[in-house]
Amino acid sequence: MLRVHNLSVGYGAEPVLEGIDLEVKKGEFVSLIGPSGSGKTSVLRAVTHLLEPITGRVDLDVPPNDIGFLFQDDALLPWRTARQNVALGLRIRGSAIRDAEEMAEHWLARLGLEGFGNRYPRQLSGGQRKRVAIAQVLALKPELLLMDEPFASLDAIVRTRITQELLGWVEQEHMTVLLVTHDLEEAISVSDVVYVLSQGPRAGIRARHDIPIARPRNVLETRRDACFAMLLTTLWNELSAASASDAMR
Amino acid sequence: MNRPLEHPTLRRIAALLVLLGLWEAGSRLKWIDPFYAPAPSAIGKVLYSLFAEGQIWTHLEATFSAAIMGLVAGLALGIVLGFVAALAPLLAQLIEPVMILLNAIPRVILAPLFVIWLGIELASKVALALILVAVLVFFAVYSGIKEVDQRLVERVRTLGGDRRVLIREVYVPSVTAWIMGSLKVAVGFAFTGAIVGEFVASSRGLGYLLQFAQSSYNAALTIALITLIMAFVIVLFAISEWLERRLLRWRYV
Repeated sequence: MLRVHNLSVGYGAEPVLEGIDLEVKKGEFVSLIGPSGSGKTSVLRAVTHLLEPITGRVDLDVPPNDIGFLFQDDALLPWRTARQNVALGLRIRGSAIRDAEEMAEHWLARLGLEGFGNRYPRQLSGGQRKRVAIAQVLALKPELLLMDEPFASLDAIVRTRITQELLGWVEQEHMTVLLVTHDLEEAISVSDVVYVLSQGPRAGIRARHDIPIARPRNVLETRRDACFAMLLTTLWNELSAASASDAMR
Repeated sequence: MNRPLEHPTLRRIAALLVLLGLWEAGSRLKWIDPFYAPAPSAIGKVLYSLFAEGQIWTHLEATFSAAIMGLVAGLALGIVLGFVAALAPLLAQLIEPVMILLNAIPRVILAPLFVIWLGIELASKVALALILVAVLVFFAVYSGIKEVDQRLVERVRTLGGDRRVLIREVYVPSVTAWIMGSLKVAVGFAFTGAIVGEFVASSRGLGYLLQFAQSSYNAALTIALITLIMAFVIVLFAISEWLERRLLRWRYV
């Protein structure tokens, strides 16, 4: 579905990322973890052409219209209501306003926001805004979903709840996902594969780990799985070693 | 329990009434020379006679026509030039220096030139009001587009939005907030342009009347006209605020 070959990207003379190779197969949930500032977000930006690579290439088996991008910030249009925000992507892709808004109401209801369609983003809580952003992306039924630490700003309870809901949708719809996060436990509990990024600048892929936990999953119960603690220790050691070796550079 | 004068507007009105009362008392007790500051009642009489005798209407019509036409044309020109400069970097290289230069000078110095070019009738006043408003609005639009939240731009792009969608969904609403922020100042500028234009050369208008009042040392008429202009500008401010609340409803919910 998505293959990144020898990708190097940067914002100035020095690359933030160098020689990145990773693959996301159809129906797979892949996470990319790394320390803050390692350039995790830049991978997603390169995949969606928001950032042009210095070298390397991104091969996608899906057209751009089948990619959904869930940002770290909810980034909803403040002058549009929740319904209009959700309908926006559908309208851009050719739906009539009425059809798009009906579909938007349907998705808001599915995400527990029935009756909130007429509210503006500033009238919603952080968790509600995040749900609107998720509805906006899921309403497009993307084949490939890219997520950039989407729940980082939420408190633990809301975060766990929304992660579980999203995981349910992904499993039900057999979506392919690339998640960027610095939360090791989150990465293990939702992913099939986890890539570990070294500390930037010139960050690269340090390791790749398969997560052999059966699906469907519950994000809280996966933490009681026999291999969870072992995987957490392994990833922790990987990241610690990355940080330590970079500190000695 | 409600305390009297709890509302700020009531406090302001009360303060104004106290000031007018003191002024009136000072004039009647001959503490204030009416040549320089006539009593409020005398100013009120002048205002009343201006309307009762009907001589004010032609002047009001002239000034309002120039101010409103200059405001509307200045808004339109400023918005178009602002969008063009922000979205076409090559044209920005031509437009921006001219606007910076026009912004740096006191633009009312162009009034004599407009009189030479366009005559002493309405057109020269409209032109001055237009240039005052257009430069202000240009910078509001230009800065507004340059400082648009890039997260919103990226969001719309990743949803598949092209340049047309970006302009409609992100730039126009974002810039509307900047324009509405400048609208009250633009209203003031439009009246400044109209009245200064009339001051320079005209046969009617509030600026012409002010010029007459000054040359005949008629302080009561001068203050009456200033009061009248202030009253109209306050009404236009209220309309601007109403418009802002309508157009930027999402900010006030």
